[in-house]
Formats: sequence, structure tokens, C-alpha cells
Amino acid sequence: MMSLFWIVIRQLEEIEAMAASKKVITREEWERKLNDVKIRKEDMNRLVMNFLVTEGYVDAAEKFQMESGTDPGIDLATITDRMAVKKAVQCGNVEDAIEKVNDLNPEILDTNPQLFFHLQQQRFIELIRNGKVEEALEFAQEELAPRGEENQSFLEELERTVALLAFEDVSNCPVGGLLDISQRLKTASEVNAAILTSQSREKDPKLPNLLKMLLWAQNQLDERAAYPRIKDLSTAMLEDPAI
Amino acid sequence: MPTANTIFPIHGPVDLLTRLDSPDPETKLKALREIKNQIIGNRTKKLSFLKLGAVPAVASILSSYATQSDSQLVDADVSTSSIIVQSAAVLGSFACGFDAGVRAVLDAGAFPHLIRLLSNLDEKVVDASARSLRMIYQSRLAPKYEFVQEKNMEFLISLINSECENVTGLGASIITHSCQTSTEQRALCDAGILKKLVSLLEGSLSQKNATLESMAAVFKKNPEVISKFVGLENERAVESSLSQRDSSLESPGTVIKNNTESVFKFVGPESGSALSSIIELTKDRYARTRLLACMCLVVIRNASPNYLQDMGNQSQIINYIPKRLQGVLLALADLCSKLESCRLTFLSLKVLNQVIDALTHDCADVRTSACICLRSITRSIKNLCAGNFMDEMLVIPLIRLLDDPSVSVQVAALGVISNIVVDFTTRKSTFIQCGGVKQLVQLTKSMHSTLRFNALWALKNMMFLADDRCKEGIFLELTGSLLASLMSDPEPCVQEQALALVRNLVDGCIKSIEYVFAEDGTLLDAVGRQLHNVSDEVGIQGMYLLGNVASGNELHKEAVLQQLLAQADNGAQSFVIKFLQSSDSRLRTAAVWVIVNLTFPSCPGAFGRLVQLKNAGIISQIRNMVNDSCLDVKLRVRTVITQSMTFGDGLT
Repeated sequence: MMSLFWIVIRQLEEIEAMAASKKVITREEWERKLNDVKIRKEDMNRLVMNFLVTEGYVDAAEKFQMESGTDPGIDLATITDRMAVKKAVQCGNVEDAIEKVNDLNPEILDTNPQLFFHLQQQRFIELIRNGKVEEALEFAQEELAPRGEENQSFLEELERTVALLAFEDVSNCPVGGLLDISQRLKTASEVNAAILTSQSREKDPKLPNLLKMLLWAQNQLDERAAYPRIKDLSTAMLEDPAI
Repeated sequence: MPTANTIFPIHGPVDLLTRLDSPDPETKLKALREIKNQIIGNRTKKLSFLKLGAVPAVASILSSYATQSDSQLVDADVSTSSIIVQSAAVLGSFACGFDAGVRAVLDAGAFPHLIRLLSNLDEKVVDASARSLRMIYQSRLAPKYEFVQEKNMEFLISLINSECENVTGLGASIITHSCQTSTEQRALCDAGILKKLVSLLEGSLSQKNATLESMAAVFKKNPEVISKFVGLENERAVESSLSQRDSSLESPGTVIKNNTESVFKFVGPESGSALSSIIELTKDRYARTRLLACMCLVVIRNASPNYLQDMGNQSQIINYIPKRLQGVLLALADLCSKLESCRLTFLSLKVLNQVIDALTHDCADVRTSACICLRSITRSIKNLCAGNFMDEMLVIPLIRLLDDPSVSVQVAALGVISNIVVDFTTRKSTFIQCGGVKQLVQLTKSMHSTLRFNALWALKNMMFLADDRCKEGIFLELTGSLLASLMSDPEPCVQEQALALVRNLVDGCIKSIEYVFAEDGTLLDAVGRQLHNVSDEVGIQGMYLLGNVASGNELHKEAVLQQLLAQADNGAQSFVIKFLQSSDSRLRTAAVWVIVNLTFPSCPGAFGRLVQLKNAGIISQIRNMVNDSCLDVKLRVRTVITQSMTFGDGLT
């Protein structure tokens, strides 16, 4: 996938060598250059499959596998399991999520204390959200406090979390941010990443990174040349250079 | 929204153990799952279940259901295999990163059952058992697997050849744990294990890591095995280059001549050989894999340096190894910098000698990294207390590095020395006998301020809680005049260390205090002079120094008082008042301490000193501080006031 990127860089260098002042490249010329770049269809397909698998679009991955013959490189059933875990955290069913992770691979939480702590933290937050203060207090003593003893680095976060117990109106307190849905999403994506790592897969799809590289390369190029650039990433339409 | 808690009630450990005994498989299964979910990731819970005897209970379930599963042969009933899977997972979790758990699992006799289950027909059972065994094999307590016996070797090979990731990982872990003698290494090599291991390097993350570890175990200190491994690869390379030649129309000679590059390519690191796959993994995206790959290369290099040098003829690798070694050392340094458990693991792995060897490496960067690594390790208070680092093996090469042509090596070496001289036993003399102090004193005269700073730091630590003889030895070498000039060094950080060193020097018995009065009190005068114009950090050390001196006899106290009352040359405000008014509470604390020691009521001259302090406006400044925001300052201020009250109201 990196080769795509290097092609852009090479073009950039070429253009730089050619033009001391800002050069104008016409659409015709640009398209000719683009046509010279050979990208294998299979590579593109693998890029798409990588995105579908990592992001957990099982059905789409399955269809795409059938249509394009691209190997997903993983048992698609494990994606379903992973997405179920992620969804459970996103809905606030943390205990359910923990059980699912443990069924999937008991090693994940046993060897990843930080993740385990964050899941316990999330469980506590959900208890507070549901107004189960007494249960939350008990949970903090039984489950959260020992984590702080086992690992000093959790103490600060632990204090911040347990502070939720101190306020009557938790949504308007200094640590109220913990109750945000964004906190659930953060925990969910941490679990998701840990499962992916345990399956020897990268935790982020490659496609967004390539898009970032594209934007970076365009910005670099803007300083040196006027050319048909892609403004809208969703349509990837080339827009004529402003002359 | 219902929480999970309302759906799955949490049962207490005792209740759960009762449920394990239930004749109903469904109840048993649920209880097993719940125990599993309670203990995973939770050391506290593991311990409490362990104490209640959960491990033997689960082990006995495992063994009875394993037997049942054997007798059913095919199509074991679903609940049977589920119960086996769950009980294996529970046992595995007990054994994960928890030695007491490993011991309990082994004592409960679960080990042979888990091994037997590896041959079960149900994939899930095999996977769960292998995973649990892998956990056990991560511990030192795991039983040694006698694979030299033919039957066991066959079994080991079958593990390595398995399709299941956990089973191959287990095979590798068994090798890592059980391959100790050269006979065992040779046996594995002869059985063709290496070839298989090489192919596992292409596998998943956990397979790669387990395989790299096992390879290191097979190679360790065994040039014969390494050369066989490499020879095997070269044969293959030659074979392929020969076949290439056959297909060519040109005469063989020309091909060799024209194709030196491609032949080199075959035997070189890029050839796709096993060694190159290890080297490739030093660039892996996971840090642990990189570290393990480096370790493996280090093992190869230590056993057969010649061989790697041959490879090195093709340029890169010679530079490669120091770079990687440096990487390993820095990675270890990082691991050991904060966590005592990592340091203890490091020391128990007996790799300290290898790091010490790196102190004399040709490459300056490696020497520096070795020092940085040692500095992290020597932070271990436990081992410092035991005097474990004051060993000539370590001390002598470190002292040699003080002469190193590279300043960064010297600085790094000083960092380690600073740690090891905080030796609480009486073995500081080892360092003096090896000539360390002389060297350190030399470095305090260096033109590089970082060297002066670090050398003083080391001497300061050496002075910490040192006995009289040791203090005297250091002082004689340093001399009062050198110390006085270091106190007024152009660099504030050097001044601070010089003052801190003297602070440690005069700490303790009255006799130590006399040092600042040597050479007509030049040292004490230098302190007084210096304090008129210094930063907070330097002021703190200076005031603690004066505080220590003021804890001595009447003569000492009077001398300190005179320093406090002496006006600066330009007639500016006394430095004590300035320090008492400082915004830095640490400086205020240090300054009040001096006054506390000067006005200690049972001393004959206390009243006279109190009067002089009052006349200088110092007491009234202190009275203003009764409600200081810093508790420590407040407490000491109150001590001064109470002490002054004992002389009656006439003073106030």
C-alpha cells in the first residue's frame, strides 16, 4: 500500500525539479500522469477488505469476498464476536462485554491490566449513570480499589472516577465528562484494538492513513504547482486548477 | 437500561464453589464460567479463590470430564467439552502471571490431564488446554519436559506441527523452558525442529514471539547448533544458485563472475534465509517482537561471533548488530526504569553479565546504552540494600569508563556509579579501593560542566550515610579548597551538588561537622559567601548544610550564626530573611530548620543567639510565618516560637 504513496512523492519531486516557479498542470497532463501509474486491482481490493474487516463490516466483507475473491485473512466469525463485544460496551453492558472477551480469548484481559481497569472503570460509570450509588460504592471498594493497589499508575484515574460518588448532580460535576458517551466509545475502541492485536491484526485500517497521506501530499504540492486536486474526498473528483 | 448485574447476579466465592459440586452439568458449567469471569485480570480474586481451594476443585472436574471424554471417543457431548473448555480456561487464568496459581495448578495434578487433552478430538478442547499449558510454561515453576526421550520428542514435534496456533505456541514455550543443556539443544536440532521453527516466524504475533524465545534457547552458547542451522540454510542457498546456473546458457564460470552479487544475495542477509527472517523481525511493528529478535541475534553473536563476522563481510550486519544491541539495552533500560518487578526479573534472568560485557564494546553508543540500562537496574533499592551491586565485576569496568574518550559515555557511567555508591552496607570501600574516588575527583575538575555535575552527584551519593573512614578518604581526596571553588562554580547545578555533597559530609556525628572548619574554616566561609546570591535550589542545599552544622556543639552553632548575620558586601538584606520570605516552601523549611537548631533551649548559648537573631529581625520574620501555607514550615516555625518562649517574655 505504501507504493501508492511513494508514487505521489516521486511525482512531487519530479514537479519540483521541473519548476522553480509555480507550474500549472492541465487536467489532460495530470490524467496522463495518473494513467501511467499502475496499481494492481488486487491491491486495491485488499485495501478495501482490510477496511471492512478492521472496521467490522462482516456482511459487506462477506459479499466483497464473494464478488472479488479477496481473502479476508481472518475467520469472519471472529469479526462478529469482536463487534458484539464492541457493541456491548457502547450500550453500557460492560459485564456482558467482559464475558464475551473472555470467551473469545481469556488471555486478553489477563495480560492487559490497563484494558481490564478501563472496563472496570466503565462498569462503575454505568452504575453511577443508572443511579445505583450503593452498588457503585461497593463495586469501587471490591473491584476498583484493588486495581489501584496492584498498579500505581491507575491511582490518579481511579481517584477521578471514584470522585463521581461525591457529587449529587453527576452530570454537572468536574468529572462529569466520564459519563459522556465518548467515554464509552473510547473504552469500546480500546477493547476492539486489543482483540485485533490478539488476532495479530493492525488496530487501524490502512485506508484512512492513505487518505491522510493524500491530503499531506496535496498540501505539499499546492505550494509548488497548480494542478487538478481532489477537494472532496467522498467523491474523489478532480477539480480544475485555478489559473 | 438494565445493567449486566441484574441479569447475571454475582455470586460469592463460597457459593460458587458449592455450585461446582453440583451434579447438574448445567449448574457446574455456569459456576465455572462465573469463576473464570471473576478471576481473569483480577489478582485479588485469584488469591481469594485460591485460598478457598478452588484450584483442586476445578482440576478434579477437569480430570473426571477428561476421562469421560476419552471413553466417549467420538462425538463427546457438548456439555462435556464445554465443561472441559471452561475448566481449562479457569486453570489457565490461575496460572497466568501468578506463581502461587501455577503452583496450585501443578499441585492439583492438572498438568498431565491438560497434556492428554491436547490429543482430544474437539478443536476447542485442544485450543483451551494448549492455552492453559502455555500460561503454565510462562512460569519458572513449570515442569521440565524431558523431550530427549524419543516418545516425548515425537510428541513435541507433533505440537510444533499443529495447525492450532496455541498448540504450536505451546511447543515453542516448552522448548524455551526445557531446553537447557547442549545435549538437549543438539537433540532438538537433530530432530529437525529448527526448520519448523523458522517457518513459524511467519506466523501470528504470539507465534513469532514464542518462536524467537525458543530459538534463543536452542542457540544459547551452542556454536555447533548455530552452525548447523546456518549451514542448512547455506546449503539451500547454494542449491538454488546452482539450479540457476544450470538453467543458464553461459558457462558456469562466467555466471559466477557476473553474478557475484546475486550469489552473495543468496547467502547474505537478504536471502530469505532463517537468519534474515530473524533480522527482519528486529524491524517488526511490535516492540516485544523487536526485542525478542534482538535477543536472539545477541545469543547467536555471543556464541559464534566469527560466524556473524563472516556474514558481516557483506557490510551492513557489522553495523547492524551494535545498533540492535543498543536497541535491546535501551529497551531493557526503559522496562527497568520504573518497575522493581522488571528489575528483579532482569536480575533473575542472569543477563547482567552480558550487559556488563557491553560496557567494553567497541562502539561508544553501545557503551552508553549499557550504562543507561545498568542505571535503570541499579535503581533497585532491594538490591542496593543487599550490597549486590558493589561487585568488582561491575565496578572495575565502570571506573574504566570514567576515562572514556566520549563524554556521553563518561556521563552515562557516572549515572550508574551514582546509583551503586548509594550502598547501605559497609562495602563502599570496594569502590575506593578500586580507585573510583580518585577518578571522580579528577572529573570534578573537568571543563565539561555535565561531567563536573555528574561526578559531584556520584560523590554526594557516596557521602550519603558513609562511615567516618569513607568520609575522610573522600574529603582528603577532594580537599576543602576544591570544594570551596566548586561551590562558586559558574553553573548553578554544580554549586547545588557541591553544597549537597558537603551537606551529606557534615551529616551525622560531631566529628563530621569539623570538616567544614578545616583549613581555617574556608569551607564554611565559602558557603556563607555563596548564599548571598543563589537560586532556590542551591539555597535549599546550603541551608540544610548550615542546619546540619548548627546541630553540632556551641562553637559550631556560633559559627553558623555569624554566617547568618554577616552582611553581603553591598549591604543588602540578610540571605536568611530572603529565604524565609521565598515563595518556595522547601527553601522556607530549610531556612527555619537552621533557626530551630540554633535556638535549641538546652544549649548554654541559646539565649544569646536568640537575642542576636531578634536584633537582626529574623525572629520577627519567623513570627510572621505562624500561619504559613506549608504545614512543614508552620510546624517548624511553631517550634522556634515555643523554644523562644522558654526564655520568658522578656524577649518578645
